Amino acid sequence: MNCGSHTRTLSLPAAYLASVVACGLVTLLAMPLRHYLDLANIVMLFLLATFLTALWLGRGPAVVSALLGVALFDFIFVPPHLGFIPSDAQYVVMLGVMLAVALLTAQLTARARENAIAACRREEQTNHLYQLARDLAGTLSRWDTQRALDDFLERTGYRAVLHFVEPGGPVRETHLAESLQAAFRQGRPLEDGAAPTLFLPFRGAHGASGVMVVTSVGNAVPPPVQESELFRAIASLVAIAVERLNAAEEVQASRDQIASERLRASVLSALSHDLRTPLTALIGMADALAISQPPPAGAAQAASSGEALTAIRDQARSIGHMVTNLLDMARLQAGGFSLRKAWQLFGDVVGASLRQLRAAYPGRRVQVALPPDLPLVEFDAVLMERVVFNLLENAAKYAPDDRPIEVRAWLEDGKACLAVCDDGPGFPAQRIDRMFDLFERGNAESSRSGVGLGLAICRAIVEAHGGTIRAENRAAGGACVALRLPLGMPPSFEEEEEEARR
Amino acid sequence: MSAEIAVLLVEDEPHIRRVLQSSLAAEGYRVFEAESGERGLIEAGTRRPDLLVVDLGLPDMDGVEVVRAVRHWSNVPILILSARTEESDKIAALDEGADDYLTKPFGIGELLARVRALVRRRAKGGQEMPRVHFGEVQIDLVGRSVTRNGELVHLTNIEYRLLAVLVAHAGKVMTHRHLMREVWGPGHAENSHYLRIYVSRLRQKLEANPAEPAHLITESGVGYRFVVQG
Repeated sequence: MNCGSHTRTLSLPAAYLASVVACGLVTLLAMPLRHYLDLANIVMLFLLATFLTALWLGRGPAVVSALLGVALFDFIFVPPHLGFIPSDAQYVVMLGVMLAVALLTAQLTARARENAIAACRREEQTNHLYQLARDLAGTLSRWDTQRALDDFLERTGYRAVLHFVEPGGPVRETHLAESLQAAFRQGRPLEDGAAPTLFLPFRGAHGASGVMVVTSVGNAVPPPVQESELFRAIASLVAIAVERLNAAEEVQASRDQIASERLRASVLSALSHDLRTPLTALIGMADALAISQPPPAGAAQAASSGEALTAIRDQARSIGHMVTNLLDMARLQAGGFSLRKAWQLFGDVVGASLRQLRAAYPGRRVQVALPPDLPLVEFDAVLMERVVFNLLENAAKYAPDDRPIEVRAWLEDGKACLAVCDDGPGFPAQRIDRMFDLFERGNAESSRSGVGLGLAICRAIVEAHGGTIRAENRAAGGACVALRLPLGMPPSFEEEEEEARR
Repeated sequence: MSAEIAVLLVEDEPHIRRVLQSSLAAEGYRVFEAESGERGLIEAGTRRPDLLVVDLGLPDMDGVEVVRAVRHWSNVPILILSARTEESDKIAALDEGADDYLTKPFGIGELLARVRALVRRRAKGGQEMPRVHFGEVQIDLVGRSVTRNGELVHLTNIEYRLLAVLVAHAGKVMTHRHLMREVWGPGHAENSHYLRIYVSRLRQKLEANPAEPAHLITESGVGYRFVVQG
């Protein structure tokens, strides 16, 4: 729909001139008729002119037309002719009524015209906004959104720029930063008095997202503040579009995450299988050779090849441990790792770890001090066994063989604590806080095997249980690693009713 | 080995199969091989082996399936080979009736020891033993009494039942679920903390060094195992 038929196609001076010309034409037309027509009918011609002027040219020209019409009528048609002061009092009434009717007509008609124009404009605007909404619904990115907005405002003389504000994030355009932040914080339109600029925050239901800055291009249009209705509507459309984009991004992101987690899990399990299979074969072959050694031709040679086989097997085993540690570390760090927690006793885990230690260090002395009344603690037994075994293995590796390793457990501040201590050289004092970092070793040049994964995996496991782990040197010398796990609420335990058996 | 003992090896990795085959053969076992679960079930049916060694990660079917299928018609001892990523499969296989497991990578010495123990258990199977000795302890299964260094040890009902179940399945890994069912009855499978507390009490009463048990062994995340020789 085009509102042009209602709008003024002439400039303002031309419209006034046209109204004057119209009055003149009516006068010229009425001159020859004045002997045939009543004055009242001539009044009608002037009123018609005023009415049409109001309809086509607007309020101002219509008022001019009304005043000029009354003046011309008085001067030319009301006796005495060519004089303003009427000869009869009834003409005064006639002129007064004519003026009143002309002005009222001008007023009413002009208002009706303005209403029609406004309605037409609104309809046009609604259509435009509908179009914009459709365009915005098809956008795929923030950049698209801005472009749809640019297209929409192209010929309006306004320009709107979208500034996206991440919650707590910085605003890049520093000269606007203050106004942007203020508009965003207040969550309502902000008008900049000095420059004709309108700041409109747009906000999605989930806390997105930014400020629309509206400026006028050139001086042809009123400042954007006067069109704030329209821009508010636009801002809410933009908010919906941005909300939709955010939701789509989130969906995509979670889809990506699921896909990448699935990929990671399958890579880890394939890697685990592919690394372990040759190791198992290698260890098996070394073992098989060692077992089926032919009777020694030369005792010395047999002994050395036996040693070599043992070394192959031990090295393959330690690679196996490393692979296990690495894969567990990767799984723990990747997150989404589910602990198989159950209510456990430290005694079980310590016993199992010691049994594992015996395989590698058969004669090693270990002193265990576990109070018999320790409560149940919730943890993943397999992973916690790894922690305790790693700590024991470290102690066995770094402390002298003839000194016992100590394992203690106790309760402290609502935590279940377990410590493994030795009489070895201890941790290097300046690096003690970094001992749990990945690939950190007490002594980088040490000939002992291990890549510093042991303590890192201990920390990862303990922290996954909501616990803490600390390394310290004992005053008397030697290293101590203590872990603390939250106690929680153990499940109930009912003692059985004692009755004499048999 | 006098009477030839037949072992069926169900493993898809040729290298591992070859190593296991040669080591077992060197010990005097007669070894049959199968490279898939389906093949393994056929071989198990026709060869009637005295022992099965089953890898959990088979290409065609789950090792757990193999265990379940074999258990439908046979009590032959089954040793599971598993990788660390198959923790829950391992427990499922043990719940289905597998007797023991080895986690890869393992040594041949360990494998042979487990195989020997399982074969020995099978040979003894069926015959009721009136007495069991381990460490300083003697259990009189007929008289239901337990002595340590000749002195009577007082066990509660549950403690005795638990010990009896473990001893009856000596050498076999007993899952938490299995033990809970045997000792406390069905419906208590979720209360495995009872089991841990009672095992701990048994160790206090029977083990020479309860902190480092030699007979009542923890299989972390899986269950417990009773071994006669520490």
